[in-house]
Amino acid sequence: MKFGRQAAAAALILSASLALTACGGGATAGGAAAGTAATSLTLGTIQDVRSWDPAQAHVGHVLQPYQAVYDTLILREPDGKLSPMLATAWKYNAASTKLTVDLRTDVTFSDGAKFDAEAAKANMDHFKKANGPQMAQLNAVKDVAVVDADTIDINLTAPDPALEYFLSQAAGLMGSPKALGTDAIKTEPVGSGPYVMDKAASVKDSQTVFTARKDYWNKDLQKYSKLTFKILTDLTARTNALVSGQVDATILDPKNGKQAEGAKMKLAANEVDWQGLLLLDRDGAKNPALQNLKVRQAINYAFDRKTILDQVMLGQGTPTSQPFGKASGAWSEGLENYYSYDPAKAKQLLKEAGFESGVTLEIPSVPGFETQISVVQQQLADVGITLKVGAALTNTFTSDVAAQKYTTMYFSLFQGEPTVAINQIISTKALYNPFKNATPELDAKIEAVRAGGADAGKLAQEVNKYVVEQAWFAPLFRVNQMYYHNAKVNVTPQIQQAVPSIYNYSPAK
Amino acid sequence: MIRFIAKRLGSGLVVLFVVSALTFFLLYISSGSIARNILGDQATAEQVALKEQELGLDQPLLTRYLAWVADALSGNLGASWFTSEPVANSLASRIPVTMTMVFTAMILIAICAALIGVLAAVKRGWVDRVVQVGAIIGDSIPGFVIGVILVTILAIQLGLFPATSTISPEAGADAWVYSMSLPVIALLINGVTGGAQQIRSAVIKQLERDYVRTLRSRGIGEREILFKHVLRSAAPAGLTVLSLQLIGMLGGVVIIEQIFALPGMGPLAVAATGQSDLPVVMGVVMYTVVVVIVVNLLVDILNGWLNPKVRVS
Repeated sequence: MKFGRQAAAAALILSASLALTACGGGATAGGAAAGTAATSLTLGTIQDVRSWDPAQAHVGHVLQPYQAVYDTLILREPDGKLSPMLATAWKYNAASTKLTVDLRTDVTFSDGAKFDAEAAKANMDHFKKANGPQMAQLNAVKDVAVVDADTIDINLTAPDPALEYFLSQAAGLMGSPKALGTDAIKTEPVGSGPYVMDKAASVKDSQTVFTARKDYWNKDLQKYSKLTFKILTDLTARTNALVSGQVDATILDPKNGKQAEGAKMKLAANEVDWQGLLLLDRDGAKNPALQNLKVRQAINYAFDRKTILDQVMLGQGTPTSQPFGKASGAWSEGLENYYSYDPAKAKQLLKEAGFESGVTLEIPSVPGFETQISVVQQQLADVGITLKVGAALTNTFTSDVAAQKYTTMYFSLFQGEPTVAINQIISTKALYNPFKNATPELDAKIEAVRAGGADAGKLAQEVNKYVVEQAWFAPLFRVNQMYYHNAKVNVTPQIQQAVPSIYNYSPAK
Repeated sequence: MIRFIAKRLGSGLVVLFVVSALTFFLLYISSGSIARNILGDQATAEQVALKEQELGLDQPLLTRYLAWVADALSGNLGASWFTSEPVANSLASRIPVTMTMVFTAMILIAICAALIGVLAAVKRGWVDRVVQVGAIIGDSIPGFVIGVILVTILAIQLGLFPATSTISPEAGADAWVYSMSLPVIALLINGVTGGAQQIRSAVIKQLERDYVRTLRSRGIGEREILFKHVLRSAAPAGLTVLSLQLIGMLGGVVIIEQIFALPGMGPLAVAATGQSDLPVVMGVVMYTVVVVIVVNLLVDILNGWLNPKVRVS
């Protein structure tokens, strides 16, 4: 009888475990592929790209894989400075309605096609009609004209201070003109970038493998002989892959970051998003209380931002009262703590506004932000504001927001360049201004930014100041992106990107 | 027997058809503006309208469903709305991963559960109690928790297995074996404990039947009674349990595949459902229904083979 129990246990272990270890190469099965050679880099990414057509590229961490195979016209340095890449120089006319761009003459695509003015024009024309997720980046572009073999004119319908920035992003990615618009480029990229895809070794949604391209024109940007993106959607899987050495770098969250730190992983933190309440119904179309400035300000005074940040995000971030990011130029020191924690003042403001008996706000629940929302709910309750949390956002939330379904919502939003942020949360065309709130004063400030050229950032400080003073939002904090890497790789964070650009990695000496 | 199989297959086709229609219509109702999802929050209304036209979303629902059915019947499952990858390609690269894992786990579960279940039923006493307690413990720990524990100990601390899958075209068979080990064990434990419990009950029930007493009274050996008569009669119950487990495992495997980053059906199903990528979801659902129908059919055939009485009914 004793033997019976042991036999059962043995059957379990033998059949499931021992038999499996009998074949194969031993304990290094997992780690060998990743980074044992100094010139290979394996990155854990959250999702695979949808299409390798450069016009389908996205922002932030969804831009990174494209950078492996496609060069951009302009290179964005880690600190945000714009430098030459495929474009050697660029200059606006006096009215900022025409950007003349000089191009390199020594670049070819991996299919042999030559990069020239015609190729650049073909890419931008394609981008404008391909209906990609970032198509709006070239909204201001009227047309692109070939001046000579290595010069193009980009003609604008109206000045767009963000255009140069966009040419360092999705809109600036250059694919082979021969491949653009074909079905083949959707699954196999053809660019002029530092790496070429190893199609045979790549599996959709699992891993994408690149090898260094021979004769790449800029060896400074090509630091590895092999580059692998391992798609790890699950946070636990990313953490495990990083601490066990399967990937060299990946993005985690504060909690899992602790585990990575325990395994001696290094953090390259970077503030990219802000979290807080969007007080959307500022004209009181559905919730009259929100029309009252004092009510919106009272909401802002109700939060002990530092404590929420410490409790919920383990302190990974910075409390703030402004929606514009630190790197955008629109950020202002004076607005950082504009609304300090002051429940007494919040109650006083509600009283002055005639809402002594209380205010009720309705917000949707947001998957992944339940803790934040319940803390916010509690702190609002302390000053007499009831937060009713409704059904969770679903995958149709963009349409729901646009359809004015929510008067208030808790969200985490990207902090981009001033005009990008304005188009995202402030202008009447912004998705996150669904009630199309506007005042002549604000419109004038926005116009000034759009026409501001190089001064756009500074002029956007006025927009920032306006929406903070008018309490359009109740920002809580900018949050750190927890990008972790091992000791084999040096990583420089890239401003406004959760995940660094591909050029920001180098082998640790 | 052939008539029986044909009947089963026929009803399977009806199920397939009904499920496809239900899925298609339910997804449509719950998916909102799919074009907006594809294009993201920066897209303008014109862009969204253009995309809807491109995907044929401006067509009436019934027209779209019938078009899908017509395509599917001719073997064309369409392409993902998000990635343009043909659904058939996605399924072809993923089904082998999931099926290898599920069937390896299932075979091991069948062997282990049968051994443990029969042992507990025959020996009773403390062996039985240990099995029962083990079943409760095994059943109460979800597979993904077991998975996480296994990864932490065996992969991260001891380095015996890769923490996440290393399966890729350039990796050899050993990568499959190594990558599958922990996920299979994680799937296995619930299955074995649950299966053993059911098989134990089935065997005990048979052992208490009159025919066993009669056989014993005729002096036939315990071993012969067990293997020739009792197990054969208890088999249908065991097979049914195992087939249910296999079907349940198709759901459990989704989370396990996420944790171990296995390029199987799970991540595809989760991503496609989250995005309302209708063609892919339809492909995944069709695959699941086909597996369920085939498994049920196989179990019926096996039961018929083991027990002629079943064939007649």
